[in-house]
Amino acid sequence: MPAPPFKRILVANRGEIAVRVIRACNELRIESVAAVSDADRDSLAARMATRSVCLGPAPASQSYLRPELLVMAAKGTGCDAIHPGYGFLAERADFARLCAGEGLVFIGPPPDAIETMGDKLAAIELASAAGVARVPGSGIIRALPDARDFVRRHGLPVIIKASAGGGGRGMRVVSIDAELPRALEAAAAEAHAAFGDPTLYLEKFIERARHVEVQVLGDRRGHVVHLNERDCSTQRRHQKLIEEAPSPALATSLRARVTEAALLLAQRAHYEGAGTVEFLLDDDTQRCFFLEMNTRIQVEHPVTEMVTGRDIVIEQIRVAAGEALSFGQHEVKLAGHAIECRINAEDPVRNFLPCPGRLEAGRPPQGEGVRVDTHCFPGYVVPPFYDSLLAKVIVHAPTRAAAINGMCAALDDFEVAGVPSTIPFHRQVMAHEDFRSGRVTTRWVEEKFLAQVIAGLAPDRAHVGA
Amino acid sequence: MDLTYRDVQSILKIIDDAEHLDEIELVIGGFRLHVVRNGASKSVSIGAPVPAAERKGPAPAPVPAPAAATSPTRATEVLLPEGVLAIRAPMLGTFFRAPAPGEKPFVEEGQRVRADDTVCLIEVMKLFNSIRAGVDGEVVKIVAENGSMVEFNQPLIFIAPDRRDQS
Repeated sequence: MPAPPFKRILVANRGEIAVRVIRACNELRIESVAAVSDADRDSLAARMATRSVCLGPAPASQSYLRPELLVMAAKGTGCDAIHPGYGFLAERADFARLCAGEGLVFIGPPPDAIETMGDKLAAIELASAAGVARVPGSGIIRALPDARDFVRRHGLPVIIKASAGGGGRGMRVVSIDAELPRALEAAAAEAHAAFGDPTLYLEKFIERARHVEVQVLGDRRGHVVHLNERDCSTQRRHQKLIEEAPSPALATSLRARVTEAALLLAQRAHYEGAGTVEFLLDDDTQRCFFLEMNTRIQVEHPVTEMVTGRDIVIEQIRVAAGEALSFGQHEVKLAGHAIECRINAEDPVRNFLPCPGRLEAGRPPQGEGVRVDTHCFPGYVVPPFYDSLLAKVIVHAPTRAAAINGMCAALDDFEVAGVPSTIPFHRQVMAHEDFRSGRVTTRWVEEKFLAQVIAGLAPDRAHVGA
Repeated sequence: MDLTYRDVQSILKIIDDAEHLDEIELVIGGFRLHVVRNGASKSVSIGAPVPAAERKGPAPAPVPAPAAATSPTRATEVLLPEGVLAIRAPMLGTFFRAPAPGEKPFVEEGQRVRADDTVCLIEVMKLFNSIRAGVDGEVVKIVAENGSMVEFNQPLIFIAPDRRDQS
């Protein structure tokens, strides 16, 4: 057997991804150190790791988000590498630099690549050089004629956005030409009130948008491969809820174009490790636009692992140690269809209110093609300090229809008691004709599904004991 | 019964010297001390609950205790005689007894300290945090090793506070 790529890895994260990374370490015969907050001392990750160290108090700002504590913990326990997981410090170039400066390998892309992709304009430039533009947008709109000019070139509908904006405030969709002047006025007033800056710009509005993303992997020797796409269109407030691979909405010719573009983008960025290039697909015109690149392992990576048979986390660790990718592009084959449902400790009936608490009992589903990534166990207390993800249920089957049916069975089989969960929500989505026929867009959950189905989400047996 | 500082020191010495034992039970009159090594799940704390002043640094998370009370990370859990407080690490870092290498340590065992005396340093990436005694009293034992990494909430120094009825 070849020597392990590292001696000991510090897992700088929590929850299911910490467990996932420790599993990969075990498989590679690498020792693992779980760096935990006070609230996670008894977590599954802390129990599974070779050893664990307590960083600080429960709030992430005093534990998981403190680069210097993580580096100290890694050095103090004799680790030679740090895996950042997702979230927390995973996409912080300064953390990656700090690790390198202290002689620790950061399991992720080089700091410069993180920085480039974190800079929206630089990323957009790289993407357009790779053949994918972002959604058409205007410069600053100074007066009505600027807006009319943009509409003439790109057509309606358009969305008005605030330059200083974020979080949806100051945004307005305009579908009728006559409404443009009044909408601009109202948006400027709203932007001024919200951000103290009335500056606006326009973007072409994609009515039926799907979220499609391409998984890439690169090594230090300049090899880059893609593992095809995932479709994450089932979202609520920009939070992904269900992901699948391959996308049911992507025509073969378009699939080739987006994967090519993602590959080219990764090559030009001298990308190493695992990354994801996100696109917005206009379902009506079948045009793709660049959104951004994430320079980390994604929550939804398992669906890609299931259809390609490749272990992305293991590959990520190996290339961080300087090894070559273990396979080439021509060896990437797709088999069947995989769907992932994120089971959160949230109450779908109460507007997805996060509900921390104690899991009285729980029985994860089992069976052919069923995978559950979780850090939960009976008696586990879901702490109120972090996200509410309890488990990811992944089902792999020969066809999409079979995967949906398999997911229905798995969800029926999944018992969660003590806290409300999103299982009933997922059951209803799986049963919905729009999802089954692959017609879901990024606004479908909020605009259609919840209005239509929320009544059907009344308490059911998954809530018993809650 | 009243425990003097000397009693506490003798008890700690007995425990220290009994490295080969997994369990020690000590009975002096109505006072009973039961110590189990290596964080075995049976370990019980003695008599009165640990005084509130013992909670140095940030308060622990306000979550209900998990069903399984033991964990591999609790190897540092210690049982203290009544009235003895532990000064704990407010963060993960390196424990230093002296302001600089070669200099005199802030405190020695047996030394009297005032509440706002610095008793040690915790270093995190070249940033030195002064740790204060928190109470007036006597240093009973220094349990953390100079220059070693300590975890959040790990006991560093034991202090026997002055008795309130004397002050």
